[in-house]
Amino acid sequence: MAKFITIGERISVTAPSIRKAFAERDPEPILLRCEQQLKAGANYIDVNIGPAESDGEEIMQWAVKLLQERFDNVPLALDTSNMKAIEAGIQVYNRSKGKPIVNSADAGDRFNRIELAANNEAIVIALCSANGIASDNDERMAHCQRMLEEGLMHGMEAEDLWFDPLFLVVKGMQDKQMEVLEAIRMFSEMGLNSTGGLSNNSNGMPKHIRPIFDSCMLAMAMMQGLTSAIVNPNDQRLMETVKTCDIIKNNNLYADSYLEI
Amino acid sequence: MAFTPKKQAFNARINAVTLGTGDKSIVIGGENVLPFYTFDAPIENKPKIAIEISDKGLAGIVSPGLLKFYEGCETVVDMAKKAETMEGASAICLHFESADPNGDNTSVADCVAVAKAVAEAVSMPIIVMGCKNIEKDAELFSAISEALQGKNILVLSSREENYKTVGASAGLAYNQKVGAESAVDINLAKQLNVLLSQLGVPAQSVCMNVGSSAAGYGFEYLSSTLDRVKAAALAQSDAQLQMPIVTPISPETWGVKESMSPEEESPEWGPLDERGIEMEVCTASACLVGGSNLVIMKHPAAVATIAKFIDSLM
Repeated sequence: MAKFITIGERISVTAPSIRKAFAERDPEPILLRCEQQLKAGANYIDVNIGPAESDGEEIMQWAVKLLQERFDNVPLALDTSNMKAIEAGIQVYNRSKGKPIVNSADAGDRFNRIELAANNEAIVIALCSANGIASDNDERMAHCQRMLEEGLMHGMEAEDLWFDPLFLVVKGMQDKQMEVLEAIRMFSEMGLNSTGGLSNNSNGMPKHIRPIFDSCMLAMAMMQGLTSAIVNPNDQRLMETVKTCDIIKNNNLYADSYLEI
Repeated sequence: MAFTPKKQAFNARINAVTLGTGDKSIVIGGENVLPFYTFDAPIENKPKIAIEISDKGLAGIVSPGLLKFYEGCETVVDMAKKAETMEGASAICLHFESADPNGDNTSVADCVAVAKAVAEAVSMPIIVMGCKNIEKDAELFSAISEALQGKNILVLSSREENYKTVGASAGLAYNQKVGAESAVDINLAKQLNVLLSQLGVPAQSVCMNVGSSAAGYGFEYLSSTLDRVKAAALAQSDAQLQMPIVTPISPETWGVKESMSPEEESPEWGPLDERGIEMEVCTASACLVGGSNLVIMKHPAAVATIAKFIDSLM
């Protein structure tokens, strides 16, 4: 089995310093966060520029070039609801270290992102919800099936659709957690790749609790067959969990220094 | 419909490591397929054979064929020159058996003198094998690496206990190639490579000796180790196991009773020389199909057989 893939989430307009950096085209805060995440072992870096309705294309191209030129063509996930911005980003994207990821499609309003990914030979994150959270796994898997067929119809390889069950917040949806994990098992049994915004589960919890929940959720999800996650790679407990689970799953050979590599 | 086999070339590769300099330099590794799977993708660098010579010269050799091959050789330098003419030879492995403090305890200075004399006399790459005493080997490898600067030799080996000294001197200070030796322990094999890389030794300067044993002497453990190392290196793209593998064959096979017991004591086993050759051929061929990129051997008949074996499979 291949090693688990981590997508670093820290370049996002939800952080005020990053929003400001995008607006002012200030490279330093963005480069700094990218470097921190790569040093911590992130495989992909998510670039969330927000809706960016007016100047999304320009911002995305600027960000892709900035990061890939500085960090040896680091593979990126292009994260915005602005389709044109994603396409513009892919135009200047260097694939030598991995295909770009389109973040994200769903089975509702963002269904056409699958075709966009197919047309651009990209990976797409396929969120198994339409308008609102899926009410149960029957619905989740119906969305999954529909998006898979859409991708295949447009010539994609199944492995380039990364299905996202949508991690749900424990504080409020505690009774749904096992269902999310069961959905991951179903993706895995179909031989599909999967991913998701892991830290959703610990939303609203105190700062010192979140890494504990994120790590436990990740370990349980990896047990179910999760192949990737969008995470904060600078959470040391979490990254140690990823590396340790990769050893236990025999995705990577153990050596005493495994946490350092 | 015709059957079209699926090609199993991997995205990952074994590192290509150069030993020696000039026309006679060799490259081992570089392949992105399982051993001898040339039908999946071409293998540019075929496995090589290095010829083991002891610094004790002909003393202790019982094989009539070996004694005949080196007939007239008076010094280790003479033997090294002769070994270069052996059919199938690509490198010379100088085995400093006599350096062992529990044996002859030859001084480091004397070993360096022998190494220098041999290096001046031969043009093939040189592999230096120690006496298995951790402290003495570390000292010996440092001194020889310094004396043979620019020759691009391989020292066998750094181990868990002395990798810092050997890695820092041979690998960093004197720019030689470093063997990383673990005894049939795949986790330690990886760990040693990690430690050497953390020390700053470039991956392209490291070869692995993941252990050796004569066929019939726990060989199945070695065999599964070789398989597992290649699988991790290629299928899992594990950069810390992509170093080419060097396996000493003759130091193991010529020390077992099948190769040493006199004919009068074991008449049912047949001629002494043939037994030794067979042990060497069996062990070397099994290691090569398991993934060794270079084997260290001794007897000209065994070397010729294995050279032919390699050529036939490429």
